[in-house]
Amino acid sequence: MAISFTLNGKAQSVDVSPDMPLLWVLRDTLNLTGTKFGCGMALCGACTVHINGEATRSCITPVSSVAGKKITTIEGLSADGSHPVQQAWMEEDVPQCGYCQSGQIMSAVALLSKKPNPTDSDIDDAMSGNICRCGTYQRIRKAIHRAASMQAGKAKSAA
Amino acid sequence: MLGAARLSSNVTRRNFLKTSATAGAGLLLPFHIAGHAGNSKNSGPLATAPFSPNAWLELSPDGDIKIWCGKSELGQGVRTALPMIVAEELSCDWRRVRVAQADLEPKYGEQLTGGSLSVRTSYQSLRKAGAAAREMLISAAAAEWNVSRSECRAESSFVTHAPTQRKLGFEHLLAAASVLQPPADPPLKNSSDFTLIGKPTRRTDSLAKATGAAKFGLDTRLPGMLIASMERSPVYGGTPLGFNADEVKSAPYVRAVLEVKSAHLTHQFGDTSGPGSRNYSCAGVAVVADSTWAAIEARKLLKVEWHEPPSASETSARLSEKMLRLASESGTVIRNDGDFDQAHRAAANKIEAVYEVPFLAHATMEPVNCTAHVRGDSCELWAPTQIPGAAAASVASALGIPRERVKVHVTLIGGGFGRRLIQDYAVEAALISRDAGAPVQVVWTREDDIRHDFYRPAACHVLQAGLDAQGQLVSWRHRASSPSIETFYNGAGISPQAAAQVDSLDFPAHFIPNFRLEFTVAESGMPLGYWRSVDASGNQFVLSSFFDEAAHAAARDPLEFLLAAFGPARKIPVGNGETLDVGRRRRVIELAAEKADWPKPLTAGRGRGIAAAFGWGSYVAQVAEVTCDAKKGALRVDRVVCAVDCGTAVNPLGVKAQMEGAINFGLAQALKSAITVSGGRVEQSNFHDYEVLRMSDAPPNIEVHIVDSSEPPGGCGEPGVPPAAPALANAIFAATGKRVRRLPIRAADLGSA
Repeated sequence: MAISFTLNGKAQSVDVSPDMPLLWVLRDTLNLTGTKFGCGMALCGACTVHINGEATRSCITPVSSVAGKKITTIEGLSADGSHPVQQAWMEEDVPQCGYCQSGQIMSAVALLSKKPNPTDSDIDDAMSGNICRCGTYQRIRKAIHRAASMQAGKAKSAA
Repeated sequence: MLGAARLSSNVTRRNFLKTSATAGAGLLLPFHIAGHAGNSKNSGPLATAPFSPNAWLELSPDGDIKIWCGKSELGQGVRTALPMIVAEELSCDWRRVRVAQADLEPKYGEQLTGGSLSVRTSYQSLRKAGAAAREMLISAAAAEWNVSRSECRAESSFVTHAPTQRKLGFEHLLAAASVLQPPADPPLKNSSDFTLIGKPTRRTDSLAKATGAAKFGLDTRLPGMLIASMERSPVYGGTPLGFNADEVKSAPYVRAVLEVKSAHLTHQFGDTSGPGSRNYSCAGVAVVADSTWAAIEARKLLKVEWHEPPSASETSARLSEKMLRLASESGTVIRNDGDFDQAHRAAANKIEAVYEVPFLAHATMEPVNCTAHVRGDSCELWAPTQIPGAAAASVASALGIPRERVKVHVTLIGGGFGRRLIQDYAVEAALISRDAGAPVQVVWTREDDIRHDFYRPAACHVLQAGLDAQGQLVSWRHRASSPSIETFYNGAGISPQAAAQVDSLDFPAHFIPNFRLEFTVAESGMPLGYWRSVDASGNQFVLSSFFDEAAHAAARDPLEFLLAAFGPARKIPVGNGETLDVGRRRRVIELAAEKADWPKPLTAGRGRGIAAAFGWGSYVAQVAEVTCDAKKGALRVDRVVCAVDCGTAVNPLGVKAQMEGAINFGLAQALKSAITVSGGRVEQSNFHDYEVLRMSDAPPNIEVHIVDSSEPPGGCGEPGVPPAAPALANAIFAATGKRVRRLPIRAADLGSA
């Protein structure tokens, strides 16, 4: 039976087993490989996407549960890397192997949408579900603060 | 992989092109801005063919420069640092460089990525490659202007003739340069003339990695590709006796259920396996399906009866007892200076300690995987591998085809740390593709990854040291026992000295008169491998911790004690034409201490510890600062200050990233990770029981200070790992008086202070 949802701003319908995790629907059915498989148990955060704006681990999310919802993946954040969080990531030269960074960025964007000026403790709380084995944590922290400033600057100049 | 790299280098290129177009000057904008248009003959037709004087680079008529990376990008930044070396000597505009990944081909030379070797072993040859092209472009320009070559120089993709202020862009010289003979031994720049090497340079791949566009091994997609999920023998070396193929095959979307035989693997340094080598892939049963989810789900239905090897009785507790017993007895003497026994008997103050470290898994974020397509007597691989040559050799051997018939595409790699030096996944993919008759991607789950790694060996160390009445070290004996990586790969026939896992344990040899180092192999059935910094990962923890114990036994400041042991800056010959540079060792220790405000007192419950490591051509010292609440067993790493002398730092931004990452990797070993065995089976399975460092565990600040140096480049991937755990353990002692002698550090280890 087809399951319909909004994916990166566009209507999407898939005909797959309802218990198939969203992660595999994205990667194998829809060929959106930016969302990564890391653990399959919501322990590492590599598969993080937004469902109705909430950072969610797609590896344990049955696709049936997202029917009618709005899903954003790393590919939907911007077409060209222009999202402030992506810009901050590049300016701080965050990625090493880069495998976890889609998930890190999606978690960071969700954090900043709730807390536009997060403290280090907010960052610990929001980001500790995302493992980076290369150890880019200090740069991730800096990039989140930088993105917060960039977004604050943008908001100010728009006002 | 070119696509991903190209996207990233376009960040700056796009801006450049936009500006150029606006000005209406196309690619010659910098030239027109310089205001020398009238002096230059640059209106001739552009070449239509690219200029590619060697394997490493290609200049296009549109001004782009393509540079191939012959090593595997695992996150360590080779797709940035290696092209920088070529671009420096080529004297091109870095903003126009696009990086391409080299497939396995003889023209790229040794493509092994490991041992912190990439920059060290490529530095001269890549400089020559860039310089050769530069010299040809200069010759072409000099001929065009009919002037002496010596009056011309290249810079930022232009050749300039200074006396007449003439300038030609590289893209105008391609046709003329292409017909010239490449110089065999082109001159290299003086390091004082470098404009790129030594300048902090952002990665070429961060846009692709920040947008999800980067394609890793697991992102390989081929027409008709099937996915395999494989159940491996829970005990290394076991084989399937029978399994319920028919039942599993009837599951949805399943195409095949196949037995996969164990195959001998080619060692990364060539096949040196002797009798008793255990270097093979796991036997098991593969479930091949249309999608990853279908393969993983169907595999849950699989019931396999295993033949298990004798190591099925192995347990960590018994191995620990065995290693302790062996390390308490005399072993193979690796080094023996002076007379330890006599000096130790006479010592005024003696200390003794037992240290232990566990097995460790690599746990790369991208689970192990490989894609293969076997067609007749040929095989094509898309492999996240650190050694494409060994992947090709291992696959050729397993399939019984010539090595030349195996084509290897090296993908981006989601973390290596040594795991991808072993080619088991490539062999699995090839065997399954052959038997399934289709392109196959073998996908390991995290559970597969944790349970079927090639592990950093567990080890036990028993140490004794003696001090004289003045607090000088006079005797030191270090006995260690662990399973041997060398025996695992090369067989039981190698000498006991060759089997010893003693890298970095030859300290404080050279600095004290009576020193003895012994090692005994502890047999184990566990598969073993190279874990970022290999022996030194555990050995340096033991060594630098016990040295700190000696400092405290002598009632001396650990920093002062360490520097006093080294003595004044000098070069000590240590055999094999190598010298030990005491000055460079001292400098990183002094720099780290100074930047960490040593010995400024800290408040109660806080402490500072220092440790240093030398190897891979580099020198690293780290100071960790911690806050401990011994009652609660709580510990926070407040900051780590690191000093590194890696000779010429090709990309200082990359060097800093490697040190930061290495420190976090070392702290994970110190605080979190352990693999244990029961019934020959690994007991951990995923990140809930094989823990690694998370954001909330990581120090808020890591400061990296690079010693300015024009010495040849040293390695940077590994040398930052070994000092992190002992710097932390020594800081804990300073804060609590509690000595940590086993890893990972447990809350109980602090609470009982």
